[in-house]
Amino acid sequence: MTQEILRLENVCKRFGGIVVADDICLSLHAGDVLGLIGPNGAGKTTLFNLISGLIQPDAGRIYLQGHALTGPLHRRARAGVARTWQHMRLFRTMTVLENMLVGPRNYPGESLLRSMIGTPSVHRAEAAARDRAMHVLERMGLTNTASTIVVDLPFGQQKLVGLARALMNDGPCLLLDEPMAGVEGSNYETMQRIVRDEAAAGRAVCVVEHNVSFIKDLCTEAIFMSYGRILKRGSVDDLTRSRELTELYFGTADA
Amino acid sequence: MDYLASAGVLIGIYIILAAGYNLIIGYGGLNTIAHPIFFALGAYTTALLAIGTGLPPVICIAAGIGVAVIASVFLAVTTLRISGDYLLIASLGFQLGLLQAINNLDFTGGPSGLSNIPVTLSGPARGWLYLMITAALALLVIWLVHRGMSGPFGRAVRAMRDDDVACAALGRGLFTMKVVIFAFGCGTAGLAGGMYAYYFQYISPEQFNVAQSATILTMVVLGGIGTIWGPVLGAFVLVALPQVITFLQLPSSLVGPLQGLIFTSLVILFLFLRPHGLVGTRTPGAAH
Repeated sequence: MTQEILRLENVCKRFGGIVVADDICLSLHAGDVLGLIGPNGAGKTTLFNLISGLIQPDAGRIYLQGHALTGPLHRRARAGVARTWQHMRLFRTMTVLENMLVGPRNYPGESLLRSMIGTPSVHRAEAAARDRAMHVLERMGLTNTASTIVVDLPFGQQKLVGLARALMNDGPCLLLDEPMAGVEGSNYETMQRIVRDEAAAGRAVCVVEHNVSFIKDLCTEAIFMSYGRILKRGSVDDLTRSRELTELYFGTADA
Repeated sequence: MDYLASAGVLIGIYIILAAGYNLIIGYGGLNTIAHPIFFALGAYTTALLAIGTGLPPVICIAAGIGVAVIASVFLAVTTLRISGDYLLIASLGFQLGLLQAINNLDFTGGPSGLSNIPVTLSGPARGWLYLMITAALALLVIWLVHRGMSGPFGRAVRAMRDDDVACAALGRGLFTMKVVIFAFGCGTAGLAGGMYAYYFQYISPEQFNVAQSATILTMVVLGGIGTIWGPVLGAFVLVALPQVITFLQLPSSLVGPLQGLIFTSLVILFLFLRPHGLVGTRTPGAAH
């Protein structure tokens, strides 16, 4: 049995009268690539927001490698939760490399004073982050974009940069929110390869994606969500064969 | 020639004010209009210590900086934790309220201010000495802002301004960064206040009112928000402009409103036509 990375126990969240997470229980192990599918509004992104700390659960607990995962976004990122965003949220005035250099867990610029003085430890950490960033870009074939302002890149490459920036966090848990939306061709293959490699390197990956063939190619398992609840967990084939679930997803044929 | 030196000192003081303010709103994206009150806190603290204790100027000015920093941390901690939007409203209250207090307290001299600030440098070269000290301090502040904003801390600050949620999700603690930027910027305003008090030897509440916010904001916007040299250029232009207006020999009842009209028109014109200011490039705040 591989190591358990992420564990959700009875996580609940409601916005007013709407239940967006209804008693969610979930376990994710090193090397897993778990697909998260379901119709719009099922609570998939909300689940990511609950895990990454953008919103706090009303009840239930979340554990990362056995330790309770609490607090706001930045605490959980430092604890080892890396995530991407459906709409990328890149730093639009900054270059690809600068975007990535904001991401290391052990950030050399937390203290203004040390950053201004440029202490040896800051230089070492900066050099290490630069190496790591260039290595990630090389794996994606994006080395030559390092000093390009991100918004000047084509859309597909911006999506890759969103992933590259998240990979600067070397934590064990990686959450990908619709990484394939608007991505095609060689960028599609790159995205697939990188996600597979990250899982193989021991990360636990969870992917929200509407592109079912991407999920099929990549995921060992998937869960189907609707109205804030996990309806079923199983192989992607099982889920897509289920008549009940496809009807929930696409609507019924005679409707 | 003393007139030139005096204008030079004023430009230097405004460069310090504009550079600190630019750090807060240009780089940090923290919308405050309370910059003049920290300028005032620096000036009044320095002046009161100089008058009451006769301590050396360096210590009096350092105390002025300290008081400005403490007050700014208090304002930042109480407002930034909720949401950045509260800072704008709270800063207005802070500016107006504290200035009212200064205006009505006895030990600050009330509306007539403090006029017996001791002479520190004297002789025929006084103006030029002050000019050199102020210029050196202005350069130091510019260099500090540049240093701070070009390293990893500055990168995180720019990232925060571009997208605060994404920045936090990468592990950057926004609250601490905001408080540090705010304290740093307001500390430099305190320094400017100390210099102002010693050079002009007279301070009064009206020198630190909301109109000063408009002046400093105009300098930053006109020069180039989020750039290193923008505030410098802005300070030169906006200190020179009123002098030019006085050459026109208009009646004094016209000069004040005309100046306000020109300043506000400049802000609006620049925001519409050249939002990145005179020295700015397409990407405000990018590394230089």
